[in-house]
Amino acid sequence: MNSTTLTVRHSSPGSRLTDLFWKKPGLLIFCLLLPPLLWLGIIYIGSLFTLLLHSFFSIDEFSGLIRYEFTLKTYAELLSPANFDVILRTILMACAVTLAAALIAFPIAYYAARYANQKMKALFYLGVMLPLWSSYLVKIYAWKLILAKQGIVNWVVEGTGATFLLNSVLSLPVIGGNSLAVSYIGTFIVLLYVWLPFMILPVQASLERIPESLLEASGDLGAAPKQTFRLVILPLALPGVIAGSIFTFSLTMGDFIVPQIIGSSRRFIGQAVYAHQGTAGNIPLAAAFAVVPIVVMIIYLYFAKKRGAFDAL
Amino acid sequence: MSVAVKFDTVSRRFDTEVAVDGIDLDIQEGEFFAMLGPSGSGKTTCLRLISGIDRPTSGHIEIFGVRSENIPPNRRPINTVFQDYALFPHLKVLDNVAYGLLVRGVAKPERHREAENLLEMVKLQGFGQRMPAQLSGGQRQRVALARALINKPRVLLLDEPLGALDLKLREQMQEELKTLQQSLGITFVFVTHDQGEALSMSDRIAIINEGKVVQVGSPQEIYQSPRTRFVAHFVGSSNVLSPALSSRCNGVENWTSLRPEVVVLGDPGQGRIDGKVKSIRYLGASNYVSVELGEETIGALVNANEMTAPVGSAVSLNWTADAQHLMDEE
Repeated sequence: MNSTTLTVRHSSPGSRLTDLFWKKPGLLIFCLLLPPLLWLGIIYIGSLFTLLLHSFFSIDEFSGLIRYEFTLKTYAELLSPANFDVILRTILMACAVTLAAALIAFPIAYYAARYANQKMKALFYLGVMLPLWSSYLVKIYAWKLILAKQGIVNWVVEGTGATFLLNSVLSLPVIGGNSLAVSYIGTFIVLLYVWLPFMILPVQASLERIPESLLEASGDLGAAPKQTFRLVILPLALPGVIAGSIFTFSLTMGDFIVPQIIGSSRRFIGQAVYAHQGTAGNIPLAAAFAVVPIVVMIIYLYFAKKRGAFDAL
Repeated sequence: MSVAVKFDTVSRRFDTEVAVDGIDLDIQEGEFFAMLGPSGSGKTTCLRLISGIDRPTSGHIEIFGVRSENIPPNRRPINTVFQDYALFPHLKVLDNVAYGLLVRGVAKPERHREAENLLEMVKLQGFGQRMPAQLSGGQRQRVALARALINKPRVLLLDEPLGALDLKLREQMQEELKTLQQSLGITFVFVTHDQGEALSMSDRIAIINEGKVVQVGSPQEIYQSPRTRFVAHFVGSSNVLSPALSSRCNGVENWTSLRPEVVVLGDPGQGRIDGKVKSIRYLGASNYVSVELGEETIGALVNANEMTAPVGSAVSLNWTADAQHLMDEE
């Protein structure tokens, strides 16, 4: 054998495996995707499907057992005034939180994307992410202390002599209450606090992607700064705002801990699901409640897509 | 003719560097004015100072006789074709072109009609409904041009507008831009680092280096009579003769520029100076012959169908006295 002949080595099983992957790239992709696909397929889609299925069953009012036959009775029950109130309340709260989050997030994100230097940007990320690193429950209980009758907010308000202002806000029908901690306003504030980072980050990312030259071109063509904002910045940042709103909207709709700890006794969807599947044992109604956010989100995404929110992604 | 844009000892300093260093310059109304310089020389900053996107740290810029420090870009009679075109990606081509009228509150039918007219002028009729991403580089460049012209600016600034185009398209656009400028009769200020582009298109050229204007003049003046070694090198790839070599060739001890196309090769002893052929580069229509003269070399551009001496052979170099130019400065 000539010394220059290419020698083909078939030594270890590991190298034979690499050879196999090299010959059949599809096999490698299949092996890489199998575990996550199994996870998504069985655990995620499977449980979602079971949930959907249960919402079409009903509960026997006398025995309290689930009757496993197809019916729309549970959905009819969902539309009863008491239950429909829960749905409406949750959606309104999700809308309010999303809107407020967008309004607060935009200026912060704009500053971070356009003006902040390297150091300020690091601080910005730290400030936005920091709340996400601590326990959700601890944060909410901390807010309960802040908003309670003997809490910091009340103390500050009394100190500045603005008690009448707080009282008049709290005496508003529906959204008011005995103190901030037991009112919708309190629920709103805390929900806004916990989900705000999920709005800020995508908005900041979308603003950062707008080239400076577009803003310069707009001004050069005669646009006043507010026109540039309305005609260039806002439309180009819209995908970010929509992405953020998908987070804040869905997270608010599904949350059951915040309204449980802070707010009035009137329920949100999450609490209804919790109560029906737990103590009441009414899995079908809990499932039907759980389907509502899914349907709302599908409708929301449909309209977002129609408005071209994903075109720029 | 009145002055369209006047630089009065204008400087623009950034944190550590000086981008524009005390420039004085008059750009006449209706002329095609090029700012030519290597990248980083401050020419784009000059353009941004004229448009108002940037402001000078000292000195004044007058636009049609009015000091412009406190006039924001949206209120100057000046528009810009940006280097990366800066087309709005979320707007259709027609709306991109009509943008300048939109922000001035012109009604939709009127601004669309005007935008169609401009698209026709840049030969893009029928492209109005497309998105910028669906256009080629050359088409985007035309859209940017139409968009910048819709407000009927008195001065149009062009920041390396042809830089991203391939050679053929570039030559075609050079002609079109020149024709357009002549028919519109407005002032074009054109920034480029391509000397050929500047020479072929402009009425006057300012050579800019390290934030300073090195020379201002017509293309002929700049090309034939470079004032400094930098200009000679940058504009024409001219030969630059050191004072020592210059005194050997023509008895004048001065930095001298000598364009390669005026140099004639001959047999040894027949010309001003003898040297040895170092290399020959074939350029298509001509050959570029480098001749070694001790430490220095002189290049000669020789017609390709003329015979040239082979590499390594001795030759003489000759040129007429008016072909060389004594430079004022190093």
